[in-house]
Amino acid sequence: MPTYESDVCIIGAGISSAMLAEKLTELGPGLAVTVVEAGSALFDVSARIRNRQRNLDYGESAWPGDVLEDQAGAEGLVCLTMAVGGQALRWGGACNRFSEEDLRLKSMYGLAVDWPLSWTELEKAYCEAERRLNVFGEPSPYPEDKRSEPYPVRALTLSYNLQRLKEWAERSALKFGPLPMAHNLKPFGGRGACCLFDTCGTVCPPGARYSPDFTFKQLAAEKKITLHDRTLVRKLVLDERRPVVAAAQAVHRDRPDEKVEYRARTFVVGSGYAWSPHLLLLSACSRFPNGLANSSGLVGKYMNGHKIIQGQATVDLQLYPGQNMAYSLISRKFFRCPTDQPFVRHDTRVWESNAGRGPRLRDDNGRLLMGDALMEDWRGRTKGGSVRLRAYYDVHPDRESRLVLHPTARNKWGDPLFRIEHRLDAASLAREAATHQHIRGVFELLAKADNGKLLSAGEGTHLDHPGGGCRMGTDPAASVCDSYGRTHDHENLFVVGAPTVPTAGCTNGALTFVALALRSGDRIAADFAKRK
Amino acid sequence: MYRRTLMTYALRAASVLPFLRVRLEAAVTELPAESVAALKDLAAIVLPSSLGRRRTDVIAVEFARWVREYRPGVPMDPGYGQPRLRNTPPSPADDYVAQLKALDSAARTQGKPLARLGREAQQKLVETALTEAKVQILPQRPTGQHVASDLMAFYFQSSEANDYAYRAEIGRHKCRPLEVSTKRPKPLEM
Repeated sequence: MPTYESDVCIIGAGISSAMLAEKLTELGPGLAVTVVEAGSALFDVSARIRNRQRNLDYGESAWPGDVLEDQAGAEGLVCLTMAVGGQALRWGGACNRFSEEDLRLKSMYGLAVDWPLSWTELEKAYCEAERRLNVFGEPSPYPEDKRSEPYPVRALTLSYNLQRLKEWAERSALKFGPLPMAHNLKPFGGRGACCLFDTCGTVCPPGARYSPDFTFKQLAAEKKITLHDRTLVRKLVLDERRPVVAAAQAVHRDRPDEKVEYRARTFVVGSGYAWSPHLLLLSACSRFPNGLANSSGLVGKYMNGHKIIQGQATVDLQLYPGQNMAYSLISRKFFRCPTDQPFVRHDTRVWESNAGRGPRLRDDNGRLLMGDALMEDWRGRTKGGSVRLRAYYDVHPDRESRLVLHPTARNKWGDPLFRIEHRLDAASLAREAATHQHIRGVFELLAKADNGKLLSAGEGTHLDHPGGGCRMGTDPAASVCDSYGRTHDHENLFVVGAPTVPTAGCTNGALTFVALALRSGDRIAADFAKRK
Repeated sequence: MYRRTLMTYALRAASVLPFLRVRLEAAVTELPAESVAALKDLAAIVLPSSLGRRRTDVIAVEFARWVREYRPGVPMDPGYGQPRLRNTPPSPADDYVAQLKALDSAARTQGKPLARLGREAQQKLVETALTEAKVQILPQRPTGQHVASDLMAFYFQSSEANDYAYRAEIGRHKCRPLEVSTKRPKPLEM
């Protein structure tokens, strides 16, 4: 059986693992770091433009080969992308910070749980994450959002549409700024500069929008890490005497009959919010029959995410949809909630939109249109503008918001897959109607200006930016790992990124996942320095 | 000589075995020349006449290329949030050929080929075909439901059509300098 030895073995190659691997190679230049990923390394940057065009023209996947079909039998909200780069191959690049309230929900509002770290600690990690991701942004108009460092890059100038929409939206008395994004405005980190392909959330041909495949490719090319793709880790195995992880057992997808073993002094599970707790549960053994790191019984529990309300409004402003549809405005006004008022926290986002202003086959009377009639009908609806509105709002998971091993679905190696059932806690459910009413009120307030009209507002069908399943905390009975991701049960086993968050905030999560992973990097590197 | 004889037997067998014939015909993945010609006539009916016949012919040829470069059974984008695995369906080429023929046959019941009917009669025939095919909306991109709605989707959902409708150089999904987006789009020279 091939056996590979290293100092640190990272399982999973998404955005958190990329940042962690990069940091470890800097803090410990002599550290042997191996990254093991079940999916393939899709490093052909020259294919991006072709794949993008096939995606636009035919709906084909922009990342062909990024799905492991035999793992796709898992149920619930799960990312199907399995490739070096993970789901961040397809993210839009939004890099919003959470706010201090997210870390103090219990002490400020009596809700959910406090995070086991201070805002100052997280804010420092945010600054580092923003530097590494080369985030552009501009200072928030709300003083509570003060930063210890400026953004690494000044924000991209708003598009003409967004300039108009900012004037429009701020008549509501909410203040807006450009969404901070991990997009290169000039070449950086071996990646190109943005040239407005406007398919950021699918694929960015020049790599201006950060994606972790670049980091892994560079680290592997410089021999700073060893990258094993197409290798599925099936189980973590404990040392015979001590409660530490001794090995990760894996199988190469191209040589399914051949087992592979990874031995390391430290193991890091960085497989995303679903596959991380899944691996810990799969690794049950006689000494830990409920799975590794699970003496609290909380592996796979408190699966979280935030809820979404989307709206469409029409305004008299003349807009030109298609200028830069991926760029948006954000207001952080409702990140804060006075403690003496009903709890409601959400972000407020504004995009240009072509809703109701695109070509259509039938007019309002159901008459079929074609040729000149269709173009005339379309032109008649190009006067004015459409606005897309969205709010992510803060909800908290019930303990039984869970991931469990699937009773029947298995992959081709016979390992059970999983099922995820999200469940909100009682307080979140109790305030949902009031939250909806509040957000609808905000949308209506926004829409008032320029003779605007809110056309629709409805709730999304899933929790976005999901996390949890290995939540962090100070109490080993009430959490899986500490604030550095070190599991309470196994001193050499870390979990990083999305699985560790106790709650999912009210805005995009990627920057927070990365910031937390970078803190893990500090601790892992310090461990090795101490051993020396 | 032996190979030719074998081919003759194979073709005869194909003619008497409908099952095999279907399989042989199913190999069509691009539009034959007569269908491309019919497609040009259709484009002149369902696309804006203000584009001019030369431009609508070019769009028809580009659509024929879209058909030729179509790849069935390829993984589609799984989407975000509630991802699902799907592959692209079979090539729509066969259906398009049949639909174009059906349109022309319907026209000939009125005594003329489709291209020589009056505009109103042409559009009525297309409308009937789309109604029979239960086409309700203009798809985001061609779906194989009907050649007429797919040809319309191919053009009307394009960046070019968006600019044409707004009479402005927006250039959606085109690689552009960042500064371009910060200003009101220039009027489109028409």
